[in-house]
Amino acid sequence: MSHREHVEESLDAIRRSKLNAFITVDYEGARRQAEEADAGELDGRLAGIPIAIKDAISTKGLRTTCASKMLEDYVPPYDAFVVKKLREEGAVIIGKTNMDEFSMGTSTETSFFGPCKNPWDLERVPGGSSGGSAAAVAAQEADLALGSDTGGSIRCPASFCGVVGLKPTYGRVSRSGLVSYGNSMEQIGPIARTVEACAALFEVIAGYDPWDSTSRDVPVPHYVARLTDEIAGLEVGVPQDFFGEGVDPVVENATWEAIAVLESLGVHAKETSMPNLKYALSAYYVQAMSEASSNLARYSGIIYGHRVQKDHDWHTTFSENRASGFGKEVKRRLLLGTYALSAGYYDKYYLKARKARALISRDFQRVFKQFDALIAPTMPYVAFKIGEKIEDPLSLYKVDINTVPINLANVPSLSVPCGRKGRLPIGMQIIGDQFNEQLLFNIAFQFEQNTNNTCAL
Amino acid sequence: MITKTDVEQIAWLACIELDEEDMQAFTIQFNAILEYFEELEDIEAELIEEEEHNVLRADDVTASLTQQEALANAPRVENGYFRGPRIL
Repeated sequence: MSHREHVEESLDAIRRSKLNAFITVDYEGARRQAEEADAGELDGRLAGIPIAIKDAISTKGLRTTCASKMLEDYVPPYDAFVVKKLREEGAVIIGKTNMDEFSMGTSTETSFFGPCKNPWDLERVPGGSSGGSAAAVAAQEADLALGSDTGGSIRCPASFCGVVGLKPTYGRVSRSGLVSYGNSMEQIGPIARTVEACAALFEVIAGYDPWDSTSRDVPVPHYVARLTDEIAGLEVGVPQDFFGEGVDPVVENATWEAIAVLESLGVHAKETSMPNLKYALSAYYVQAMSEASSNLARYSGIIYGHRVQKDHDWHTTFSENRASGFGKEVKRRLLLGTYALSAGYYDKYYLKARKARALISRDFQRVFKQFDALIAPTMPYVAFKIGEKIEDPLSLYKVDINTVPINLANVPSLSVPCGRKGRLPIGMQIIGDQFNEQLLFNIAFQFEQNTNNTCAL
Repeated sequence: MITKTDVEQIAWLACIELDEEDMQAFTIQFNAILEYFEELEDIEAELIEEEEHNVLRADDVTASLTQQEALANAPRVENGYFRGPRIL
């Protein structure tokens, strides 16, 4: 099959789709890039492969909305670092995927462009915030996708949609061109149907970029070449703190069965505990909201973005632009973040959250002296119904209980499918020490080869 | 305990106008969320500054956006400038 024919299959799947996984589809651009690949004008490791990009990542000349009315008409004048890398390797960018507005959510329901749906059950959420990216990959509307993960936004939808998704080590992938939400915690990462494809995409986007001051100059290994490395003898920890109240027993069982598979492959598993994880949810939300209140201050409707018709004084004009450009969840988080940073409350909320983060990081440092990796359920349960939690923000925040500790500790975590409840996929996360993504891929690859959980819709 | 007046004040600080309905809903929701955050009060750790990796690139002049590119997304432009609301 030619690249053009293969890309056309993706575009057909998108056209027929009921998922609302895409906000913008670049039909012409995708066909042109596919033809260039067929003509041999594009080469590289991803030549001709259709890839979907979360709409929080800047694509030159292609609308990037962050699923917000605020950026409904925004067309970036430059490519994000990761998009440049994809183009260099010949990937075909087919479109921009649906997400929670400004990445604030766990269900892709807060999008200005309407909710995205779970490909396994159209009445359920795909997870979020990178819901469109995971749904598109699961439904074969794209071969690969990029998401971003601030508190679980790659791993949650990967888990709910039955695909593989990696939240990399903080500093491993450049954030240049990613629309900021919680900048001290977020990373761009790969989503794919198999571990090998996920590793191949990661190999392309990882690496140092002087345009991101938090980017780390650490060599990028050939993850795919070493995928079959031996895993027998590895020590894996299972922290009981990820199996707390509210975890569905079916999810818990699936995780333990997956651990049994790994034990049969020679991995040693042992229970452990990380007591400071109980603070993770509060610590994450206070920090993320505080950072968001600063990062989103730039949206005033003057240099770009939504602007109301009539001008008043500066403060009123800004306030009206922001009132009509942002959705409810964004307003909620910006207000709470403003409050947490305001005089008199900084010590009570923000400083305490920083301290909790330090304690959680030390918990991870301690367990990684004893274990090579950790295993836990990615999400406490399978995908929930659209509308089930959206009216009660705190209940929706609690969905992130198992994913946020990883972002606070700057470590990598790979979510892989490990079972089902009915039709709905269950994911487990394999967590490693900083810059140890290779080991996560190796464990996941062996698990995948010895089980049958790979997405087949 | 946060009151509706507090929410109004925070909204002013955050530069986001709220309607009556949002103000009422947010007041109830913020109290529930902030009550949950109170678990952080127990924490008595010393904050040792974790190793931070924030490295600035060399201050070299490189190509940047053209004026046309920089203005392309602005809702209102006049004579090559962004047009803001009036000050006086």
